[in-house]
Amino acid sequence: MDEIRQQFLADLGRAQTAKEIEEVRIRYLGRKGAITTLLKRTDFSRLPADQRRELGRRLNELKAFAEEQLARAAEAAADRPAEVAHERLDLTLPGTSRRLGAIHPIALVQMELEDVFQSMGFMVLGGFEVELEYYNFDALNIPPDHPARDMQDTYWLANGMLLRTHTSANQVRALERFGAPLRAIFPGRCFRYEAIDASHENTFYQLEGLMVDRAISVANLIAVMKALLARIFGREVTVRLRPGFFPFVEPGFELDVQCLLCGGAGCGTCKQSGWIELIPCGLVHPRVLEFGRVDPAVYSGFAFGLGLTRMAMMKYGIPDIRLMNAGDIRFYEQFPAAV
Amino acid sequence: MKISLDWLSDFVDLADLPPEQIADRLTLCIAEVEGFEVLRRSVRGVVVGEVVAAEPLPASYPGARLHLAEVDCGTRRFTTVCGAPNLRVGMKAPFAPPGAVLAGGTRIEVSELAGHRSEGVLCSAMELGLSRWHEVLLECPPAIANGTPLVQYIPEQDVIFEIDNKSLTHRPDLWGHYGVARELAAIFRRPLRPLPMADLAPYDHLPPYPLQIDDPEGCPCYGCIEFEVPAAAPAPLVIQRRLHALGQRTFGLLVDLTNYVMWELAQPTHAFDGQRVHAIRVAPLGKPGTFTTLDGQQRALLPDDLLIWNESEPVALAGIMGGLNSEVQPSTQRVLLESANFKASRIRRTSVRLDLRTESAQRFEKSQPPANVKAGIARMLRLIDEAGVPCRVTRRFTLAGDLKDGYRPLDMPRHCLSTMAGQDIPEAETLAILHALGFQARFEGDRLHVGIPPHRSEKDISIPADITEEVLRIYGYGRIEPRMPQLSIAPPYVETALRTEHKARRLLAGAHAFIEVHTYGWFDDQWLAALGFSPRGALELRNPSAQQNRLLRTTLLPNLLALVRPNRAHREAFRLFEIGRVYWAGPAQECVERSRLAGISFQNADWPPLEEHFRSIKGAIEDLGRFLNCGDLVLRSGAPAEAPWQIPSLWANVCRQDRPVGAIGVLAGPILQTVATQGQVVWFELELEELQGPLFPEPRYTPVPTYPRSWQDFSLVWDLDQGFARLEERLNRFHHPLVQRREFLVLYKGKGLPPGKGSYSFRYWIGAQDHTLSGEEIEQFRNAMLQFLAAENIPLRV
Repeated sequence: MDEIRQQFLADLGRAQTAKEIEEVRIRYLGRKGAITTLLKRTDFSRLPADQRRELGRRLNELKAFAEEQLARAAEAAADRPAEVAHERLDLTLPGTSRRLGAIHPIALVQMELEDVFQSMGFMVLGGFEVELEYYNFDALNIPPDHPARDMQDTYWLANGMLLRTHTSANQVRALERFGAPLRAIFPGRCFRYEAIDASHENTFYQLEGLMVDRAISVANLIAVMKALLARIFGREVTVRLRPGFFPFVEPGFELDVQCLLCGGAGCGTCKQSGWIELIPCGLVHPRVLEFGRVDPAVYSGFAFGLGLTRMAMMKYGIPDIRLMNAGDIRFYEQFPAAV
Repeated sequence: MKISLDWLSDFVDLADLPPEQIADRLTLCIAEVEGFEVLRRSVRGVVVGEVVAAEPLPASYPGARLHLAEVDCGTRRFTTVCGAPNLRVGMKAPFAPPGAVLAGGTRIEVSELAGHRSEGVLCSAMELGLSRWHEVLLECPPAIANGTPLVQYIPEQDVIFEIDNKSLTHRPDLWGHYGVARELAAIFRRPLRPLPMADLAPYDHLPPYPLQIDDPEGCPCYGCIEFEVPAAAPAPLVIQRRLHALGQRTFGLLVDLTNYVMWELAQPTHAFDGQRVHAIRVAPLGKPGTFTTLDGQQRALLPDDLLIWNESEPVALAGIMGGLNSEVQPSTQRVLLESANFKASRIRRTSVRLDLRTESAQRFEKSQPPANVKAGIARMLRLIDEAGVPCRVTRRFTLAGDLKDGYRPLDMPRHCLSTMAGQDIPEAETLAILHALGFQARFEGDRLHVGIPPHRSEKDISIPADITEEVLRIYGYGRIEPRMPQLSIAPPYVETALRTEHKARRLLAGAHAFIEVHTYGWFDDQWLAALGFSPRGALELRNPSAQQNRLLRTTLLPNLLALVRPNRAHREAFRLFEIGRVYWAGPAQECVERSRLAGISFQNADWPPLEEHFRSIKGAIEDLGRFLNCGDLVLRSGAPAEAPWQIPSLWANVCRQDRPVGAIGVLAGPILQTVATQGQVVWFELELEELQGPLFPEPRYTPVPTYPRSWQDFSLVWDLDQGFARLEERLNRFHHPLVQRREFLVLYKGKGLPPGKGSYSFRYWIGAQDHTLSGEEIEQFRNAMLQFLAAENIPLRV
């Protein structure tokens, strides 16, 4: 009897369709079915009364069990969609889409920052890589004998122009073009005559920002920078200002961010100082506003410079700046065009 | 810039502060401290000894001149074997007797050297842990009694702060210890002791020194004084220990004191041998020439280089280095001391050109105040006096030019500071800070009147914002509460050029598997030669990083093509693009700068065939035109080739409404060999400015057909050499009212076709606006098409 029970369950387990379930019913409970036959063939009269009662009870139990299982299976089969004839299909084979290409890590960071600044009402402007000495130096209040103008730092062209050494060269161009009030960022490529090593490049990207309006203060500068950094890093950051000297701002600052890795306790990334120097900034020098034909008695502003190359290195953990311009696709491929 | 805590302590009490705190506050209030080092000296047990006898020993070591010296240490005499070149009888020097432990942990024992018993060591600065200088014995002033413990003059410890030079370029005053002490006094609200000076007035009755400035622009102020002094006598140990702590070697009284004054006051001075100079004139060389500086180097000079002349003979390179001909000698008894002021840019230009970046030149480059001309000399005389050596002034302090030693007035609105800070800055604190920094300051009505002290340069402090910075940095930027600006809203102007760049990136990388790269903004001559390309109108760098990189790129392609070879080692196929600027000299402008998009696609295998490869890149460019909303981009063969990658019949212009906006092509022949050896290379380059369209698409809706349409396919046999465009032109001549669209399906080449022919399959979609086409209408269309093809002599493929 147990054998029949096991066999029944196995057969029913294999039956998927209503038709197959019906076949199982006939095989066990039909007129010539296994259980029916067992019931019929058993000669109860030759058994002692107590055994007779026990066997009868067990046989009826088996029959009831089989009926219940069949009903359940039939119900489940009715819920399943009807089978359709089809060819063999392996859903687990890999997709054949052309692989997604890649966007340069600096461009990725630039696009992200542009989004952040645009959401804060800043224009995004381009500018020129081959620049006039006037916009790169003179109009930024950088005196004629300033060391930055030397051949060691600046690529000079035979025609007297230069490759811009910073995106700050756009400050006065933008003031001339749009006047005040002004909120703008200028991302772009810059060049400095420098020996190349793992952390120095002669070709790199910056993002300059400029905000000019009435009564713009140091307190405003700190607030905007904090909001910006919170967006970039996805959390509140602690910042500090310390004096920094740039001829086109006064006062000038270096803005440090408390190390995001160690929280200020000191680690390898922040050289044990707890702080990472991130954004040179300051209130726009009145002379620069004047060069931009904006009245410093009415307007003030702040300016800041972000190293896009450096941000990309920090963000993606790129240890060697030379990878950026080296042309090795195994490097670039790691930055998917997911923007 | 190195700063000694020991030295600072002369002027401000900092003993109770941990060095970390001092470094931290310096960084937050003045300039970045790169670090500090605790200097530990090994002076315990070391005493001052006098060499009372010295007997030369036969040279037992090659090159060594050993002496057996007898050293008097007061209570005891020692004999020691000594190899120092400056050893002489009568000198005093530090002596480490047996048992003393010197720098590096060397314990001094009685030993045998060159066959003699040596009972201790006469010490150099290095052995005492003062500095790395080890060539000579540290010479002590003779006034110090034999046997005096050295620790009385040289404390065991000092702390040396290293301040980032780049953050001090605008602060001439911080190139000396006194300037830093003044800042620390203000930061920690502690009193600043005055710098002791000698009074020069008592010498006013003496004759002046003959002095003349011929170039007042290069030398606004020059001061000097002549006196008799034992120039080579050892300087006091306090002077020597501090100079050594900064890494400066010591030589003798006069030279050491000029260095000391420079490191203290930031004012470089120079001592001439008084026997060699008689009258001073400051003038440029006037013609090209040479001059030998005191380091023995002959320097090539330009006419504009400023010199100090003794009558008609140059004796010093102004502000940079003295001359060999007038250097102070060990025998010098009479000294002419110069303290002058030179124009920063002149000094910088000469010192950079000669690569002679002396401590003096570095300080003059930062625009030292002329007031220091007199202060330098007054301080020097005071130090000589304190050294206890005899000194007799023979010519009075003589000055040419203006000391400008008054306060410069600056007037600003009373609330300027609070407005710039963005919060209220207490006025009492403002005044206290300014006074501590040496400024005069008082509020009056709605004004703040400030007097700028002479030690702050005009380049640094001249406008109200400069005063604000002075106050706020000491007040503490950390005390300013962030506050968002309150601004009106206006939609910002959108620069389409940048958006176009980003859209192009998104399409090529997002939909066409291109990888974005960056290459340098200049060409490589060798690579250009290999390609056979000579750019026209390229701008030239005056100071390229390497000579072969002197031309700025006029096209992005050469640098991209250079990437095929290195990358084909890693991948069978790849697509690269770059967005970047190109530049050239225009007819009317010095520089035309354009934003370009260029790409290359490489495939090593023969399959898919080159034509398919090319079509996929062409398709990407057509996509780009649509994606940038600038309409259909079409190819037109035409313009004569300008570059070796433009191979006849293998390249075409990409045109937007008949205007060329770029080019596309494939490589073959020698240039393919150069770029890739083998495989397929497709290239393109586009002017991004020419591809700007509306940021968002603006299609016009046309009604969706109500009635179903039908299609009819035709496979046409056509001359492969004639090409698709000609066939299309012919098909365009067919007009029929039912035709809605013609679609190219496939080109078949091969079996079953005559040689040189291909089968071009087209699908014609036909339909009507107001009814479903009947079988008859479809048949009529088909007949019309077949008639047209017969007339055009275009056979159907059968």
